[in-house]
Amino acid sequence: MEVQKEAQRIMTLSVWKMYHSRMQRGGLRLHRSLQLSLVMRSARELYLSAKVEAHESEVSLPPALPSDPRLHPPREAESTAETATPDGEHPSPEPMDTQEAPTAEETSACCAPRPAKVSRKRRSSSLSDGGDAGLVPSKKARLEEKEEEEGASSEAADRLQPPPAQAEGAFPNLARVLQRRFSGLLNCSPAAPPTAPPACEAKPACRPADSMLNVLVRAVVAF
Amino acid sequence: MARRAGGGNDIQWCFSQVKGAVDDDVAEADIISTVEFNHSGELLATGDKGGRVVIFQQEQENKIQSHSRGEYNVYSTFQSHEPEFDYLKSLEIEEKINKIRWLPQKNAAQFLLSTNDKTIKLWKISERDKRPEGYNLKEEDGRYRDPTTVTTLRVPVFRPMDLMVEASPRRIFANAHTYHINSISINSDYETYLSADDLRINLWHLEITDRSFNIVDIKPANMEELTEVITAAEFHPNSCNTFVYSSSKGTIRLCDMRASALCDRHSKLFEEPEDPSNRSFFSEIISSISDVKFSHSGRYMMTRDYLSVKIWDLNMENRPVETYQVHEYLRSKLCSLYENDCIFDKFECCWNGSDSVVMTGSYNNFFRMFDRNTKRDITLEASRENNKPRTVLKPRKVCASGKRKKDEISVDSLDFNKKILHTAWHPKENIIAVATTNNLYIFQDKVN
Repeated sequence: MEVQKEAQRIMTLSVWKMYHSRMQRGGLRLHRSLQLSLVMRSARELYLSAKVEAHESEVSLPPALPSDPRLHPPREAESTAETATPDGEHPSPEPMDTQEAPTAEETSACCAPRPAKVSRKRRSSSLSDGGDAGLVPSKKARLEEKEEEEGASSEAADRLQPPPAQAEGAFPNLARVLQRRFSGLLNCSPAAPPTAPPACEAKPACRPADSMLNVLVRAVVAF
Repeated sequence: MARRAGGGNDIQWCFSQVKGAVDDDVAEADIISTVEFNHSGELLATGDKGGRVVIFQQEQENKIQSHSRGEYNVYSTFQSHEPEFDYLKSLEIEEKINKIRWLPQKNAAQFLLSTNDKTIKLWKISERDKRPEGYNLKEEDGRYRDPTTVTTLRVPVFRPMDLMVEASPRRIFANAHTYHINSISINSDYETYLSADDLRINLWHLEITDRSFNIVDIKPANMEELTEVITAAEFHPNSCNTFVYSSSKGTIRLCDMRASALCDRHSKLFEEPEDPSNRSFFSEIISSISDVKFSHSGRYMMTRDYLSVKIWDLNMENRPVETYQVHEYLRSKLCSLYENDCIFDKFECCWNGSDSVVMTGSYNNFFRMFDRNTKRDITLEASRENNKPRTVLKPRKVCASGKRKKDEISVDSLDFNKKILHTAWHPKENIIAVATTNNLYIFQDKVN
């Protein structure tokens, strides 16, 4: 569990760093982006393998656990992971999450704690508790990425936030993902790098946990 | 007894000078980004984030009082690079000077190459200590005289004036790099040089600015398959056909330009197998080589990765001949160093003139020297606290764990904002230049 949380925290941190590096003077640094993606990949592998182990040990437990309590710990972990990201404008909701439609709450102030909701949409994944579903790429995510890949240009890895029509050469999927997910953060000055919040703190989250993990998954799978 | 030459530990290092602002509030433009002695050691150049180059010149030794070598004083300051904007890519190009390399002196003027992320410039630094006086048609202040008032003719003569040092850009080598330039290196033929960015290395002729030859290209056809980038490159000091480049994966490739026009296939690949016991989450990124330097002899090369310095014999590819741990106590702190971005710091390294001692920087304004002969190492600090001239520097020690002895510093009290990334060693003497964030320290060995 600790391992999972740590891995999750590092993934979130890496995504934040990658976004932040694009806003720096001089443009995207290829070497830095590569290093961040390596760390993100390692963190993802670690998270998934830890999750598989945890799942296997849970399977041996009595099965009739209501979904909410099972969801709650992962949600807590996810929400703590999210507090690591800078507070900002609420981005447009994850298209896949038909359930989570918080468009009304697009304020810069941090919103009230979100109730843990089970996404109605079924994920085609074996690890299908709601907290995880975002981590394992679903079919739709893959399709979306495939479109992005086809649309990617092959030159000029170092571009600042390009207009949405262009994809960044080296990391097209990440560019799209970050553009969508963090568009609200564009106007914020970069905050200090997020520090690891204590695991037990459940700070209010600004966006649904699922979509944050989706972001991470997409970013990681892109590499 | 202090020995003059050789061992980093047998000599006693003394504070000599410190250059730069005293206050703690560091202006970003003043952050030193490169330090380089010229071939004679008489000149010391620094580049900063604001695109400026400052050159210091060593005073001629005072023959009577030979208790210290000459001091370095400002010789010339000029703005080498300005911020630019790439309109095509909507990208700002930083003016930060990434590297300075001196050309060997051929005449009265000095020449150096300076580079930012995209453009390399050849600068001529010349002295003017005479000026012509006595023009017929011009007054001394430059105003033109009324020709009708000229009744006699005279020949203008040169008269001495206060020394003026002028820097002028003689060549501008631009538009050859898509990615960020990390290295430049002048060939031993003194006619060509290479410039390296993340994925490509180009060969230039010093006289020709509108053409360069691509000699290494590691860009994959599909950028999503990118796994490594070039981190540093250098020409061999004696063989004009040989150069090396290091990668983010911890490998070094030696290439021979005689083999083919595009040196994509290396002649030698230097790689040490990873120690499985050290494998961790961040292993991949700390193995990235941040600097590669040939020894003066050309027999060895030194690489710096995040935690260590390695010396390689060019004749042996499978492992380094020597490995020195710079700050092994940081291995357990890699996660925190990732959080505060310190894990991405690119430390440089340098050889002394006789290739017997190597030096590199660390945190808390510490720098380390390793004596290859005695196998001893020393940690010293660049601090204004020791700034009385000829104060001998006290060796420092970091306590990794357990009980901290007196005068030791614990790892947790190290200041990771105070980092020494750039150091340089005089080519002939035991004089070193160590750059902290915005100050340049000059240390010398104690002369009895």
